[in-house]
Amino acid sequence: MTLSIYGQQLNSRLLIGSALYPSPEVMQQAIIASSSQVVTLSLKRQNPLAQSGEKFWRYIVESVEKNHGFLLPNTAGCKSAKEAITLAKMSRELFKTDWIKLEVIGDDYNLQPDPIELLIATEQLLADGFKVLPYCTDDLVICQRLYQLGCQVIMPWASPIGTGKGLMNPYNLASIRHRLPDATLILDAGIGKPSDACIAMEMGFDGVLLNSAIALADNPVLMAKAFASAISAGESAYIAGTMPERQTAHASTPTLDSPFWHNPEHNQ
Amino acid sequence: MKIYINGQVFELSHLPTPMNITSVLATSLPNNQQQLSFALALNGDFIGREAYDSTHVQHHDSIDLLFPIVGG
Repeated sequence: MTLSIYGQQLNSRLLIGSALYPSPEVMQQAIIASSSQVVTLSLKRQNPLAQSGEKFWRYIVESVEKNHGFLLPNTAGCKSAKEAITLAKMSRELFKTDWIKLEVIGDDYNLQPDPIELLIATEQLLADGFKVLPYCTDDLVICQRLYQLGCQVIMPWASPIGTGKGLMNPYNLASIRHRLPDATLILDAGIGKPSDACIAMEMGFDGVLLNSAIALADNPVLMAKAFASAISAGESAYIAGTMPERQTAHASTPTLDSPFWHNPEHNQ
Repeated sequence: MKIYINGQVFELSHLPTPMNITSVLATSLPNNQQQLSFALALNGDFIGREAYDSTHVQHHDSIDLLFPIVGG
């Protein structure tokens, strides 16, 4: 099965971030090991003399080419629709892609997306030809509004960025899946363990985007493989269909023709 | 004339006016920086490369040059 991002079919359902790795080399190895075909990156005002960004970028591009993938620039750090729109346009020129992971942060404490500014920026960017992948909270109505505006992909958080707390509100996420059956839903941010990603896929999410959980692992390359396996397992489980949860115990071994010592009369 | 590039002040009084973005960058940035990949905003608005020659820069204008970095 493939993941569809605005019609682009991808073999991997894992989208991976490029930040926080101990070195560019480890980052590249982890991206390749993950088999991810979408790698996020950003633009920042930095001292170009350092050129550290150039080296990372070169490694990112090599990794993406190796996995036959695509760049997904983000608008991290933006706090208004205007800032995000400007940064999206700059990213489109530099990275030569109309994909944009749209982030507009509304609160510095938990880095929660600002839903009002997010909707404003989304509408304008879609009108300008962008393929918007909005990062939002697990609020069903916000997700519906984004979908109604024309977003084919919606990316609610599992929990605040970088916390590794996993799925804070499984009910909310399940509601979004249930109410938006045709949207491509990607769980973004807050994933801590491969089991978190697996649960999201078992719920019917189309993909998972994460960064810290791989980059901050003791062994990022091995953790990248673990996430790839977990996402694949969760996808298979969703397709296979999980059994209904039951309130009472049901013996799995057939009870017909049980041996005599299970006979109540024998125990008297 | 004084302008700001990434928050740093540049005095460009020696250049003929009106100045465009191309001439400002050629004067303000060393060659090795001009060869790097970047995108540009003038006073918070994106300016595409095709518009560098036709976009004038005024006194106290602020130019942001953004470079690729890692991101999540």
